[in-house]
Amino acid sequence: MNDTERELSEALAALADGVRPAPDAYRTARGEWLRRERRRRLVLAVLITVVFALATLIGLWVLNQTPSHPGVIFSGLGPSLTRPTP
Amino acid sequence: MEPLAPAPADPAELEREAGLARLFELHYSSMLRLAVLLGADDPENVVAEAYYQIYRKWRRLRDVEAAEAYLRSTVCNLTRMRIRHLQVARKHVENPLEETAVSAESAALLRDDQRVLIDALQQLPSRQREALVLRHWLGLKESEIAAAMGISGGSVKTHTSRGLAALNQAMEARR
Repeated sequence: MNDTERELSEALAALADGVRPAPDAYRTARGEWLRRERRRRLVLAVLITVVFALATLIGLWVLNQTPSHPGVIFSGLGPSLTRPTP
Repeated sequence: MEPLAPAPADPAELEREAGLARLFELHYSSMLRLAVLLGADDPENVVAEAYYQIYRKWRRLRDVEAAEAYLRSTVCNLTRMRIRHLQVARKHVENPLEETAVSAESAALLRDDQRVLIDALQQLPSRQREALVLRHWLGLKESEIAAAMGISGGSVKTHTSRGLAALNQAMEARR
């Protein structure tokens, strides 16, 4: 270790010694975690609700687009099948 | 004294709260000091954010022992991002504020030569500063520094030697 490295270690240690955490740091930080977590869950819940509501509305709209008159699938006008004779 | 927020009833939540309180007690001071030495202008917020990230990822944490390394790495990353953000913001301000982020109160405890060294350290690129602080303040091994910074061992060597060369130059210029 050269002189600069030794001086650097001493300077960093001296600077670090001058740093004192606030006595209520945990209380403040914990309050902030809980607040942000509540907010995150609220945003997530709102987002899920909006997506669900949109999906429901789109589904209802698509169902509403079907023709109101009865759709003919089989008219029954073609040649009728005759029962095979034994 | 203002009471704490009501404690959760869920056992997993209680375990997380207790684990975090223990982590806070064990490592908060050293993480705060690390953020200051790395040049963060708001070290309390940086460390609080690092703890919030570990709070969210608590269930995915391998063990509590891994938490210290995770916190250290997060503080390094957040400080680097914060400094980069400030550098970009300063480019758009007509009268930029003083570059150094070390508070006058903390710096007042230093001798003149130490203050010159710390000023020179603050002028280094953030990667070089991180490598030097992790090596010479925390005394980490090369592999631990590489893990904390998310780079290879070779890059750690490069950043450390370049940073030291710049500091040597600054100290030589002063003498």
